[in-house]
Amino acid sequence: MKARLLVPSLVSLVVAAAWIGPYAWMVLTSLKTLPELLHDPTALLPKTWTLAAYREVWATVPMARYLLNTAVMAGLIAVLQIVLALPAGFALAKLDFAGRKTAFGLVLVCLLVPAQATFVPVFLMLGRVGLVNTLAALVLPFGASALGTFLVRQACLSIPDELIEAARLDGASDLHIVYRLLAPALRPTLVALFLLSFVFHWNDYFWPLVMTTDDRIRTVPVGIALLREQGTGVRWHLVMAGNVILSAPILAVFAIAQRHLVRAVATRGF
Amino acid sequence: MKPARRHEPYLLLAPTLTLLTLFFLVPFLVAARESLFSWDLLTPRTYIGLSNYRTLWERGELGRAFRNTLAYSAVVVSGALLLGLALALLLDRKGQLAAFVRSAVFSAYVVSWVAVALLFMWLLDGEVGIVTRLAVAVGLPKKNWLGDADVALYTLAVVSIWKIAGYAMIVFLAGLQDIPPVLYEAAALDGAGPVLRFRSVTWPALRPSAAFVATTSLILSFQAFDVVRIMTQGGPAHATELFVYAIYEQIFLNLRVGRASALTLVFGVLVLSLTALQLRLLRGREAT
Amino acid sequence: MSHLASRRSLLLGSLASALPACDARSSNGAGRAAFWYSYGGKNREVLERLLARFHADPRRPRIDATFQGDYFESLAKVRTAIAVGAAPAMTHVVSEVVPYLAEAGALEPLDGYEGAADLDLVPEIAQSGTYEGGARRPLLAIPFNRSVPIMYVNGTMLERAGVAIPRDWGELRAAANALTVRRGAEVAVWGFECPVSWLFWVALVASAGGRVVDEGGTVTLGGDAGARALDLWQTLTHRDRVMRPPLGRDYNAWQVGTQDFLSGRAAILWSSTAFLRYIEENARFPVKVAPLARDHRHAIPAGGTFFVLLRAAEEREKRAAWQFLRWMTEREQTMEWATSTGYLPVTRAAITELARNGFYDAHANDKVVLGELGSVEPWPWSPTLFRVQREIMDPLLEDAVLQGTNAAEALAKGRREALLP
Repeated sequence: MKARLLVPSLVSLVVAAAWIGPYAWMVLTSLKTLPELLHDPTALLPKTWTLAAYREVWATVPMARYLLNTAVMAGLIAVLQIVLALPAGFALAKLDFAGRKTAFGLVLVCLLVPAQATFVPVFLMLGRVGLVNTLAALVLPFGASALGTFLVRQACLSIPDELIEAARLDGASDLHIVYRLLAPALRPTLVALFLLSFVFHWNDYFWPLVMTTDDRIRTVPVGIALLREQGTGVRWHLVMAGNVILSAPILAVFAIAQRHLVRAVATRGF
Repeated sequence: MKPARRHEPYLLLAPTLTLLTLFFLVPFLVAARESLFSWDLLTPRTYIGLSNYRTLWERGELGRAFRNTLAYSAVVVSGALLLGLALALLLDRKGQLAAFVRSAVFSAYVVSWVAVALLFMWLLDGEVGIVTRLAVAVGLPKKNWLGDADVALYTLAVVSIWKIAGYAMIVFLAGLQDIPPVLYEAAALDGAGPVLRFRSVTWPALRPSAAFVATTSLILSFQAFDVVRIMTQGGPAHATELFVYAIYEQIFLNLRVGRASALTLVFGVLVLSLTALQLRLLRGREAT
Repeated sequence: MSHLASRRSLLLGSLASALPACDARSSNGAGRAAFWYSYGGKNREVLERLLARFHADPRRPRIDATFQGDYFESLAKVRTAIAVGAAPAMTHVVSEVVPYLAEAGALEPLDGYEGAADLDLVPEIAQSGTYEGGARRPLLAIPFNRSVPIMYVNGTMLERAGVAIPRDWGELRAAANALTVRRGAEVAVWGFECPVSWLFWVALVASAGGRVVDEGGTVTLGGDAGARALDLWQTLTHRDRVMRPPLGRDYNAWQVGTQDFLSGRAAILWSSTAFLRYIEENARFPVKVAPLARDHRHAIPAGGTFFVLLRAAEEREKRAAWQFLRWMTEREQTMEWATSTGYLPVTRAAITELARNGFYDAHANDKVVLGELGSVEPWPWSPTLFRVQREIMDPLLEDAVLQGTNAAEALAKGRREALLP
């Protein structure tokens, strides 16, 4: 290898170790047993390779339920955001009507507000109507995405008016225009939105922590975090097994849709 | 374009605007009102005016949340910028190794904060963590990275940098790829070495990306919660009590709705200003 | 719209199945009840074993037990759940918070429930003995896992150093100094380790003759006794450097202490009898327990939790939960609970039986623990007790011991804070 390539390659390997190393340690730990961990926590390889930790996690924690809850929640949010952002973005981009500027301003302002700033009042509000610890509490607050609306509007701006007028002349209704005409045309934006939203909400710990109180509606991140709360010493092999269960689906999505995710993040910023 | 029917735009916007108003604007009104009361959720409220703000200030909680969050953000932002830029420069090349490493680094950004927090709790454990043991093996002092009040906040910052460096790298890479190669060739023809090429060609072109990464990391840092909740719960001795965690603690652990609401309001104003800055940058980049 | 519509209906279908289950249906008509509990590890295993045994009889109600984290996190969830109408029927809470919940009207009075009058509870750790005037109040709490602070010593280390088990503060200081092993600037073995937290500070204050909240309800934080208690820790940590500085919050600190003791990094540990079984089983040296070293008098608070039923839950659920609660106080269960974990047996029948069948003869440490019952001092029935613990004392203690600030000043500041709205 040329000398010029040697140094960057070596450094690259160090970098790779710094980012892959932790994952590897996570997986290796999850394959060990408790006595091993207590007596020799930094031994590299497991003495007895075993899936016992996974079995125990699966048995003591309603993991299947959590996985279902999380997938449904993240999926619903992502779909709902798209379903709502399409008509809203279209209206803001293409239609003249009184109050357009105000509506757009409202969207922009909401873009600036993170969930961490609203959780206390929203918790109180939902509590008053008895919706805490329901799927609605997890999904509704995120059903409308200011970012999604903003991005759809941006994308709609570049769709020629003639296309829409032609469809109108053909007798198409608004819903038809929005969901049959624009949706396919905006596919890259919608795919990016779906991916970002799904991944973000799958990973979300904060909101489900605040809004759920028991196992029926709890999500995977919250369930896994509870694994570390033990009475007599943390059982790391269980925590790491839980961690693998938490991360594997997202890493799978990442492996499949990496290009889309990268593009979404690089150009939109989240 | 004129709408097909007069009410069309309003109907199209209604669901979105209703949800946004309900969940992003109304909460501030609720928080403002609650911050004037003392309430523990179980017994009736009592009106106490601005007492909550005064108490938070006098007990030092407001100042401390702000200071901690600022210090934490400063480290995370600088770290993300430097590391992101370095990684982008290193990995802006063809080949499978570079592609693989880029994926590895970026994957940290994609997984959950919970996963990262738990993983690093294990890695950094003061007694049995492998990082601690390795550090001792190479002669560094044996520190309780998460249990030492002087170090804990910076430990959290480093963990966060590990997670978001991939994001910064991606943004810088996109910026690097936008630089036309002719500029480098011209500089090289003028006799400029690699350092000068960086200063005169690369850095000016990357400044918008850097600004973007800086503001996004700043906002992410201000919103940090998961690492604190999982790794240190605000301790030791409040050293890692960041803003959002302070709010969470007030309402869910101390059951003081009034104080939590007061903190929420202050926090909201803070983040609004920061995000407004980022939005201006976003629109600036879109335009170019 | 079609493919979007079919996708939506698929998701809506899963939504329906994922919504919180209606609890109207129950497999046997005896009802169900939600029970939120909050300790993991060994204690969780024992609880789950007992639950399984309870459920073995199909005529009994189903208890949906949910793990909620540590005591404080669980308590937070219970209180917010009550406030937003999502309360479980049954949970268990630390003794300090019962007065607060009672005064807020959150607890279900238990006197009217079947069999409540003849539960045969050990008075010192039941409501009657745990709170001043507890017997006069309506029955609201049934002891569950009750413990006392206790001193664990590493038998081998003490013998080797020729040190006797310390009986008072002076002896404790001397012993800690004799047992600390230094290697250069580092400490290899701490002579003394104690979670710098509420329970142990209260024990020190009680021993020094002080009260945290006086009879009138004013938060006095022990007065002089409070300062002397804090000062003892500061002396041991900063001046003598024989006590490990505080590490971690809440139950993290207790865990660290236990691990240090087990791995031989601490010679004397002040901790809870709750860990007795775990420590005995995992120590590779003889473990002896003794009462905490005293100052003027021997008086200790009792720790651990009480079962409570929550008023906000449905009648049916509460009745179902009561069946489980009463079952848990039967002699068999209380004996099993105590012997498997190290918590105190909560019924007199259990103690009698354990004495009779030789358990206490075979387990010297448990006998010492039992003996401590005589020194348990009741808490004042003060709704602010819990706030004082969480918001004022725990942070204050951690801070003061870490920084070494003047004890009297720190407590004076704490007293002022207790007055803020």
